Amino acid sequence: MSSDGHRPSAELVKRLRALSERRLSREEVEAALQTPISDSEREEILALVAWFRRRYPTPLDRLAYVRRAYRRWQNSLEPTDQRRPGEG
Amino acid sequence: MEGSEFDEVEFFRAVQTSGARALLIGRRALVVLGLPVLTADYDFWIHIDDSAAFNRAAEPFGLVPTRAPEEARRRGRYALENLEKVDVLVARVVPTVDGVDVSFEDVWTRRRGLDLAPGVKVDLPALDDLILTKRFAARPKDLEDIRLLEVLRSAEAKNRSEL
Repeated sequence: MSSDGHRPSAELVKRLRALSERRLSREEVEAALQTPISDSEREEILALVAWFRRRYPTPLDRLAYVRRAYRRWQNSLEPTDQRRPGEG
Repeated sequence: MEGSEFDEVEFFRAVQTSGARALLIGRRALVVLGLPVLTADYDFWIHIDDSAAFNRAAEPFGLVPTRAPEEARRRGRYALENLEKVDVLVARVVPTVDGVDVSFEDVWTRRRGLDLAPGVKVDLPALDDLILTKRFAARPKDLEDIRLLEVLRSAEAKNRSEL
């Protein structure tokens, strides 16, 4: 974590990206697929879907929302060591 | 072209009118279906003979292919890039990590079309097939997406049985 306590370092972002992009083995996938979905997980997902579809009723609304949300997320992750001098 | 100026409706319209058999896969397909997940890229699976048509559709948006159609076919994938990135799978059959061969022709036959705007439609794999495509790359986030899609699939099946 960077010295300001909020933004990750470039190295941490790189390591996290590598972890999330790694290809799982057949055994790992099969084990995950066999893990049952609990009732509470199911309810949580359906509630999330219901909210998203209500808030953004058309596929186009949803696509536009995700473009905005991704930009915001990307900005929040911008590593401190890649920020311009004097930037917040 | 600035990423923020990318006109999604016109892009999908161009893909539709190009005649390329193109399926939206990946997380943007989940978003279209109503699952709020984040993603940077567009992912398509296209017919092996349609990459030239697909590239022509993308050209007015400043999207440049990383490989010529012949090489893309040989390698099975390529990308179209400017400030946006479109990952393109161009293969007749793709195996899942657990050994299931998934054929484009079969998935194309079972596709579902969704209206994006008047006269603009996007083609998506059926839910069962979309789940299979998530087992191509088999990354941790793909497994999370499979759980989301399975819940959606069971909810849709329940709704159908109640009609």
